[in-house]
Amino acid sequence: MADDRMTQRLAPKDQTLQEAYDIPANFLEIDVCSPETHGIANKRYTDYEVRLKTNLPIFRVQECSVRRRYSDFEWLRAELEKESKIIVPPLPGKAIKRLLPFRGDDGIFEEDFIEERRQGIEGFINKIAGHPLAQNEKCLHMFLTEPMIDKNYVPGKVRTH
Amino acid sequence: MTGTLAMESEQAKYLEAAKEVVKREAFNMQRCLDKGQLMDGLRHATEMLNELRTSILMPKSYYELYMMVTMELTHLTMYMSAEFIKENKIADLYELVQHAGNIIPRLYLLITVGVVYIKSKECSRKDILQDLVEMCRGVQHPLRGLFLRNFLLTSTRDVLPDVDETSADTGTVDDSIDFILLNFSEMNKLWVRMQHQGHSRDRTKREQERLELKILVGTNLERLSRLEGVTVSKYQNHVLPAILKQLINCKDSIAQEYLMDCIIQVFPDEFHLKTLDIFLDTCCQPQGAVNVRNILISKIGRLSNYAQADPSNIPEDIKLFEIFSGKVTQIIQSRTEMPPEDILALQSALIKLALNVYPSETGYVDQVLQNSFNIFEEDKSRAKGCSTELSRMLRVPVDHYQDILTILQLEHFTPLFSFLDHRIRKELCVYIMEHVIQTDTYIDSHDQVDLFLTMMTCLISDQPDQPKEPEDPEDFELQQSLVGRAVHQMTSSVPDQQFLILNMCKKHLLNGGDKRIQYTLPSLVFRAMELCRVYFELKEEDEKWEKKVCKILQYINSLLSALVKAEYWDLALRLFLQSALICDLMGIQTAETIAYEFVSRAFAIYEEEVSDSKAQLVAISLIIATFERTINFSEENHEPLRSQCLRASSKLLKKPDQCRAVSLCAHIYWSGKNRENEGSAMRETKRVLDSMKKAVRISNQCMEPSVQVQLFVELLNKYIYFLDNGCTDVTQAMISQLVGKIRDDMPGLEASEATNQIVQHFNSTLAYIKSKHGMSFPTS
Repeated sequence: MADDRMTQRLAPKDQTLQEAYDIPANFLEIDVCSPETHGIANKRYTDYEVRLKTNLPIFRVQECSVRRRYSDFEWLRAELEKESKIIVPPLPGKAIKRLLPFRGDDGIFEEDFIEERRQGIEGFINKIAGHPLAQNEKCLHMFLTEPMIDKNYVPGKVRTH
Repeated sequence: MTGTLAMESEQAKYLEAAKEVVKREAFNMQRCLDKGQLMDGLRHATEMLNELRTSILMPKSYYELYMMVTMELTHLTMYMSAEFIKENKIADLYELVQHAGNIIPRLYLLITVGVVYIKSKECSRKDILQDLVEMCRGVQHPLRGLFLRNFLLTSTRDVLPDVDETSADTGTVDDSIDFILLNFSEMNKLWVRMQHQGHSRDRTKREQERLELKILVGTNLERLSRLEGVTVSKYQNHVLPAILKQLINCKDSIAQEYLMDCIIQVFPDEFHLKTLDIFLDTCCQPQGAVNVRNILISKIGRLSNYAQADPSNIPEDIKLFEIFSGKVTQIIQSRTEMPPEDILALQSALIKLALNVYPSETGYVDQVLQNSFNIFEEDKSRAKGCSTELSRMLRVPVDHYQDILTILQLEHFTPLFSFLDHRIRKELCVYIMEHVIQTDTYIDSHDQVDLFLTMMTCLISDQPDQPKEPEDPEDFELQQSLVGRAVHQMTSSVPDQQFLILNMCKKHLLNGGDKRIQYTLPSLVFRAMELCRVYFELKEEDEKWEKKVCKILQYINSLLSALVKAEYWDLALRLFLQSALICDLMGIQTAETIAYEFVSRAFAIYEEEVSDSKAQLVAISLIIATFERTINFSEENHEPLRSQCLRASSKLLKKPDQCRAVSLCAHIYWSGKNRENEGSAMRETKRVLDSMKKAVRISNQCMEPSVQVQLFVELLNKYIYFLDNGCTDVTQAMISQLVGKIRDDMPGLEASEATNQIVQHFNSTLAYIKSKHGMSFPTS
């Protein structure tokens, strides 16, 4: 017999087979994809599809898709800075230089730039949405699931349904 | 693409860096151990093991690193074995290493020390093993956890208690089983969980990675199978149920498929036999194995080989075929979404099982075919798009039996053809037909011929589902010639049966339509002629032979009429003549009438349907030649026919053709036979010479000198032939007259290759005459 004290451990909690093999209870995936450029001249802008897939109970839906433009992300970031206590990660920078006139290319509507920005904001939104404290914020829910953002909303917390 | 390339070079860089550290720390560890500084050595070992904490490496690179690290750890093991066992400080060490700050190095070290501990102090074995396998739960990261547990399994390889251990203190084989089973279920859990790591769009890439790691999980099962203490009853009651429980509940097709296959491969056949029911039941459960097809096929194959190796391997009371067949049917019925190719793959496996293990039970094979038929009949949509698989399944018994007669006994073989696409059905028919011809199998009753030709219906007649556009003429000809050849495989040694067979063939082949019969009917005509000869040989024994022969001749007549109707003139003409010869050979009254009819039909075709002058000459030559060979025409019929030959010959359009045909007619008068002559030749010398003179006369009218001379030479040869054969009325004068003519005309011919040949022919003829008959014709 080995020395008892050596192998004395706290008894582990038994795991059920379901717990062992079920898909994780914190599944969350947000894709930012299919950029589209709308409008002409000064009114021109690009928006992206923001697609949410999750099994977190805090979200009312398991799948959802909305269209958002860069300025919407800026709004979300500002709201979170204001309302939540988390340190909000930065967004990919504004493309000041690209907005200057007399450029040889399409400026901020160049395909390469749009793709670069898409990757940036995809990383940003996944980081935020994965944070348990941010998950409580009303603004995040509105941003991810409502077709239109109501900028005059009343800030607040969401409870698990 | 550049993405993956960049990633690969990234990986290589990370791996290189990690290996550098491992090399350095391993060196330092070794140096400290050499100096007996254990604590420093452990510190370096920990540093080295820290490299395994990485999350950056892909499975392949991680594996490489893991191999390197574990190799270095053996030095540590060796050192400890040598130094500590004697000093008995290993228990302290077991505690000491648990102070390592990070869990990965801590557990690797714990396992390393633990194994040394067990080796030094056997009584500790049971507790230590249990402690190690429990502690490993601390790593829940899939990749790191899988490798850690693999390290546990391989390190403890030699220390697991097996059959010869009986003391409950040091552990028994049951403890080993539990140890491995726990390790297995934990590893399976980690392996399945990999599926949920990362973005769902990378699913296939992750599945690939999981497949690369599968062997780590399978090693557990392999280790179990090597425990001698795992007996059939332990396997049946404990090991297999525990494994299957994990498999069912993980609901993961990759795990299920691989591990089921693993079970089948690593455990011995007797085990499988004993646990067939429980294993198959697991496969059948709705949430059981997702991809049941490969698992079942593998199992069937394994046991089928086992049974084949020695039939006594399978106890009487285990009816392999019934068990598998029942389960397969049950699975197919319960899983309506099962793709047809899977259904067919399973059925094929059953057929192979039946063929290999129960070769004498054709009923089993038929039963599988019937089941397949019922499945498709019940839901026709299930048969869609699986013609290739179905056809492959149907080929299995064909290849196995090497005998079409056995196939014909399978009642449900042919009905399955209706689920095949037209093209595939035809290919299968061709395959079977070639098979019959190659194996030289005789189909010897008309019932079987009926079955066979019904099976081959796709080649024999037009099908409602065949493509609108006509198929490639070359392929078509090949296929139909194949049918023609196959007719020769439908043979009975009993003449009456053979006649029934011929009638059955006719019934089927006449459905073929005009484009097919030109290839298929000639075979039947020749088979019928052959049968006439058989009866002719038997005329002493079979008193009804005349009647039977007449029936066959009528049979031939009906086939030829079909060819005439389809306007295959050349073919019909030749077959009429050939058949006339057979009729004539029979030497009976009725046959003569038919023979006369055949020759006159040939004449009719010649006169009405052959328009090309070259073809006319060929046709009339054939008619004359045929007629010359007959022996049993009465003078009454012989006379009009030979006059007809002569008349037709002299009516040919071109003079050279006339000349040649008329000179051929001379042969009828010379060597033709009729009944009155009782088999001796006519020898009508006068008529022979008349015909020859007529031929000479006609060639005189030829305008083209070279053709004329050529004809003269040919006629000269004919004269010589008759002279050689005893026609004494051919005089030297006749010959020298002809020779003179040729000599007169020869110099006028233009020099050419054709002329050279004529000259040569003439000179050879002269030389022959001189040597044979002593005649010479000096130039005047």
